[in-house]
Amino acid sequence: MFNWLHGPMTVGTLLTISVLAVVLLLIVLAFVTYAIYFERKVIGWIQLRHGPTEHGPLGLLQTPADVLKLLIKEDIIPKLADKPLFILAPVLAFVPSFTVVAVIPFTDAIGFTDTNVGLLIYVALSGITILGTLLGGWASNNKYSLLGGMRSAAQMISYEIPLILSAMGVIVMAGTMNLREIVEFQGQMGVWFVVPQIVGFLVFLIAANAEMNRSPFDLPEAESELVAGYHTEYSGFRFAIFMLTEYVYMFAMSSLIVVLFLGGWLPPLQWIPGLGFLKAVPGIVWFALKFVVVVFYWIWLRGTMPRFRTETLMNFAWKVLLPVSLLNLVATAVIKALV
Amino acid sequence: MSAIPGFMKGLGYTFKQMFAEKSTYDYPNEPLKMPERFRGIQYLDVDKCIVCLQCQRICPTQCIDIKGKPNPEGKGKVLESFDINFEICILCDLCTEVCPTEAILMTNNYELATYSRDELFKDMKWLNENDENIRRGDA
Repeated sequence: MFNWLHGPMTVGTLLTISVLAVVLLLIVLAFVTYAIYFERKVIGWIQLRHGPTEHGPLGLLQTPADVLKLLIKEDIIPKLADKPLFILAPVLAFVPSFTVVAVIPFTDAIGFTDTNVGLLIYVALSGITILGTLLGGWASNNKYSLLGGMRSAAQMISYEIPLILSAMGVIVMAGTMNLREIVEFQGQMGVWFVVPQIVGFLVFLIAANAEMNRSPFDLPEAESELVAGYHTEYSGFRFAIFMLTEYVYMFAMSSLIVVLFLGGWLPPLQWIPGLGFLKAVPGIVWFALKFVVVVFYWIWLRGTMPRFRTETLMNFAWKVLLPVSLLNLVATAVIKALV
Repeated sequence: MSAIPGFMKGLGYTFKQMFAEKSTYDYPNEPLKMPERFRGIQYLDVDKCIVCLQCQRICPTQCIDIKGKPNPEGKGKVLESFDINFEICILCDLCTEVCPTEAILMTNNYELATYSRDELFKDMKWLNENDENIRRGDA
């Protein structure tokens, strides 16, 4: 799949790349549709109710019905809102979330890029979304939105640091930032990085949850406290784009966790001799299974925990997660130097 | 750190709850069972009414309108018209309590939504025909 990176750009190559990018977009959108459905169903079951059952068999057409409703709504822009920024904010939030999916290797053969700085590109691009949410909060000309946008920006930048530091433990052990080589290194090691880097994995899981603005870290969009925070004034299609951003980040972040810590497309339990037959199952199936487990974990956590207060959230990032991830990094480097 | 056992316990609890029995009522598809003493809209037995006008007098919202005429056969009065303005009836049951002949009784019918407010003006004919699910006298 990477041949085109080494040859000249012809019209045929350009067409192939465009078609494959559209296919990826459709897969991501299908994921978002059924992630929303899955979330509503699972949270319903946790709360002793059924979740969507009316539209379509088992309620499967509920999300398309909701998306249709959002698309046909009137596009309302408040009179005193800053119009160009108001229109720009959802776009600025959404585009990086889809772009970062390009650096993720889904299997050995399926992937869009093969750069030596894959992880760095991911983290750098996901920072642009913070601008989008802050801009949405400011441009709405609404004090609740502004508060929500500020809190969201503060939260996201505070949790970026433990996120990167915990991923750096993996980089130190693997010796590269190339995501494909990280997965291959896990294959060589025999165990996935979740085992030697368990502390890093836990910190990354918590920091990723905060990065995605999901419960229990969803103060910026807390319905009961801030009337939906930075996307209060957005309705119809613009709101759909903010929702899409959140769920595409769920896709991108879960894929990143699977690649960095859970062994990407590798089959499990390869350190037990005799289970080699598991290699017969295609890599994409293992990737999908691990991915579904991570997504289920986000949804399960949302149904379980109450949300953090702002000062507890910030304290937690700076006073707990940051020192823990720094210690993890230092310990990894020391052990690697000694061994 | 001390929150971690609580956190794991919480996760375990919600996971088990996912497989517990759901507490949703399937209402429009399956009817809701109401208790015996439930007060729904009234039933009128025209033959038993002696037009004493006690129910009209005691009604707190004055929603009952009665017109009586002298009994063509024998003494007393019979009903000419009996209207309940159901927009203001509060289903308080006082009219049933004062009725000496038990001519007016409550039923258990609660599915009373209509498309127009005109249909909420219940007349004698409707009230007489509403004879299903009458609330038991000893309940």
